[in-house]
Amino acid sequence: MNLTVRDHPIAFVVAPTGRIDHGSADPFLLALQEVIPTCSAGSRPLILDFSAVQYISSAGLRSLMVAARQIKAAGGRIGIAGVQPLVREVFAIARFELVIPCFEDVDAAARSLA
Amino acid sequence: MKSLLARLLGAHHGRSLALVLLVLAALLQVWRQEAPLFGLRHLLFDHYQRLHPRDRSAVPALVVDIDEASLVAQGQWPWPRDRVADLVARILAGRPLALGIDILFVEPDRLSPPELARRLPQLPGETLAGLPDPDRRLAQALATGPTVLAVSGVAAALPTARPGGRSVSLVSRGGGGSEGLPAYGAALGSLPALEEAAAGVGLINTPPDRAGGDADLGVLRRLPLAGRIGDALVPALGLEMVRVALGAAALEAQSGLRGLETVGVGDYRLPTRADGQLLLHFGRLAPDRRVSAASVLDGSFAPAGFAGRFVILGLTGVGLVDQVLTPLGEKIPGIDVHAQVIESLLAGDALRRPGWMPALEVGVLLAAGLLLIVALPALRPAYAAGSGAAVAAGLVGAGFAAFVAGGWLFDAATVIALLNPLFILLLGNTLVDADRQRRAAENALQASREAAARDAGELDAARRIQMGLLPDPQALFADESRFRLAARLEPARAVGGDYYECFALDDRRVCFGVGDVSGKGVPASLFMTVAKTLAAALVRRVDDLGEALRQIEVELCRNNPEVLFVTTFIAVLDADSGRLACVCAGHDAPVLRRGPTLLRLAAGDAAGPPVGALGNYPFVAFSRQLEPGDLVCLFTDGVTEATDGRAYYGGDRLLALLAAAPADGPPEALATAIRDDVRSFEAGHPPADDLTVLVLRWDGPAASRPAAAAA
Repeated sequence: MNLTVRDHPIAFVVAPTGRIDHGSADPFLLALQEVIPTCSAGSRPLILDFSAVQYISSAGLRSLMVAARQIKAAGGRIGIAGVQPLVREVFAIARFELVIPCFEDVDAAARSLA
Repeated sequence: MKSLLARLLGAHHGRSLALVLLVLAALLQVWRQEAPLFGLRHLLFDHYQRLHPRDRSAVPALVVDIDEASLVAQGQWPWPRDRVADLVARILAGRPLALGIDILFVEPDRLSPPELARRLPQLPGETLAGLPDPDRRLAQALATGPTVLAVSGVAAALPTARPGGRSVSLVSRGGGGSEGLPAYGAALGSLPALEEAAAGVGLINTPPDRAGGDADLGVLRRLPLAGRIGDALVPALGLEMVRVALGAAALEAQSGLRGLETVGVGDYRLPTRADGQLLLHFGRLAPDRRVSAASVLDGSFAPAGFAGRFVILGLTGVGLVDQVLTPLGEKIPGIDVHAQVIESLLAGDALRRPGWMPALEVGVLLAAGLLLIVALPALRPAYAAGSGAAVAAGLVGAGFAAFVAGGWLFDAATVIALLNPLFILLLGNTLVDADRQRRAAENALQASREAAARDAGELDAARRIQMGLLPDPQALFADESRFRLAARLEPARAVGGDYYECFALDDRRVCFGVGDVSGKGVPASLFMTVAKTLAAALVRRVDDLGEALRQIEVELCRNNPEVLFVTTFIAVLDADSGRLACVCAGHDAPVLRRGPTLLRLAAGDAAGPPVGALGNYPFVAFSRQLEPGDLVCLFTDGVTEATDGRAYYGGDRLLALLAAAPADGPPEALATAIRDDVRSFEAGHPPADDLTVLVLRWDGPAASRPAAAAA
């Protein structure tokens, strides 16, 4: 699991890659914690580009949920973009689009959240 | 409170006290220079000599020995002086460099005319005058060559002793004179007529070092190269023989600040102690240096054998002379000592212990002591113990090297003896420190073991409590004939976040479900306990499953700082009608097996997010109609996400297993088969998550139950 932060004119874009499972969920959350403080009311939204994430487990869902809760508490916005089929299946089971809004791609997410 | 001593001992690993000990040792060494501790010094130096005796391959001196064989051949001692004169004459005929005679002719011969006159007063005077005088004959013989007679210095004036005697002059350089030389009150020598006939007289005093106050057990290590008898300066017999051979008029001495440094004659000189004592470097006993007096008198030893040699005439017959013990451990007659003095003088080989040596030893003591004080407490105990031996071996080795190289006598033994208390103190402290550390480590290990055991015990208790919360379906529904329910739960750790539930709501309805708290271990297990308890209470009280779940979520989210959530699938079966009401909160859809067909009990839009995710989600229940024989399998991601390190077990494997399972097999066997299949798929890979399986088979209302299911 790797995390890259990309430049985008109207959003913070963070792109994890690989699998977010029991082994990598905690490092993933720790990496997110570096970015989260910059997302608050009035700042650019945080968009997680999931186009390179192959799999996510329930532990990974919890990491996302913690991040979403912190950002929402600070008045910020968060979205997930480019979800791949296996992840989409997990999200569907967990009805995760009810927790964090999901979008086709980063631009769509940026337009919607900004 | 620690005592002062204990504090001193402990300070800086005992270094403070060690420093005090070192200073005391140095003071002791300076102060007790002339009384070496325990005779260790002599023991060490004697061993050096044994390991490295003086080379005696050159034969500059011979001993003519009035031995047992001579006494047998010539009669008992004392021999008549004319027979001694014959012996002297025969030796001198061989033209030796010098002849020393280690015999005192104190009184006149028994057959000399004055003695005869005293013993036999009736003898007429002319008869006496015509008799030969043996003493005169000996004097005449002595006068014909370079002969040296012996003289012994004595403390008190014996009746036969004389004050003073023949003196040799001393040329002294470097300030000092003969003040340091041993002084004797009187001389015990030969008849004046004999001494006058000889070319010189030499001192034969060889005082052995006293050992334990018993001179007889003493070892001869040193002898004066010259002494003062009254006002006269008398060289040692060996030195005097060399002087006579050289024809030199005077001895020569070199003095320094501390006293005499060398004494000698001509080019031959030896280093001495400040009091003129020579520290002899002994060679081994060499019997070939002895010539029996009998063989000289009967002509079997040709006088030519004495040419160009120093010859010493003396007695070795048993009972006639004292023997001396050498540092080599040999008992030798006194005449051999004189031969060794001559050999040493000619070879310039003597042992040296100059005045500055004690100062060097104190310096070495301080340096070695400081080294130990600095280094030893920093070493591991095994090396610390070895360091003392290494320092001792280094000192003894260096001392021996100096001995071999130049006859230097460096007293490593006293240094080591004085270092010993210091070493023991430091080593003791090091060992005490090590022991304390070992005990501390043992205590820490014990404490951690106890803590681990306590934790394990508490976790074990927590596991028992948690597992105790799980109902036993076989006991609960033992008399049930309409359905059959089985469950398996295996936590990945001692305690887990999975749970299952089953209980009868009333005669018709049974509630069952599974839940999976995000995370593992103690936090998940606590959350699971709360969630399960809440669910059981609210499902009983609230008829609508969706509303019940919403209230569960509201309660759980009141205090959830860890942001834990739980995915759950809860169902209520009407055992008479087969109606199954379900609610799903983010949980994987259970599998429904109906004959050969496998379906998913998917909630579709009715499915909600995990409980705890949003806080107040309006969950919606949905329902399905079961047919008799239908099998419902609930599971958690401990099944689908089990991994062998390469792939996940996945839903397809589960579906395949369910499809292959016998149609009328009991749910218990199926639950166990699923667990076993997952474990064999993992192939020893540790499970990542808790595993839960719940299997329910509805056999229809009791009356219409198929015969096969009753078996």
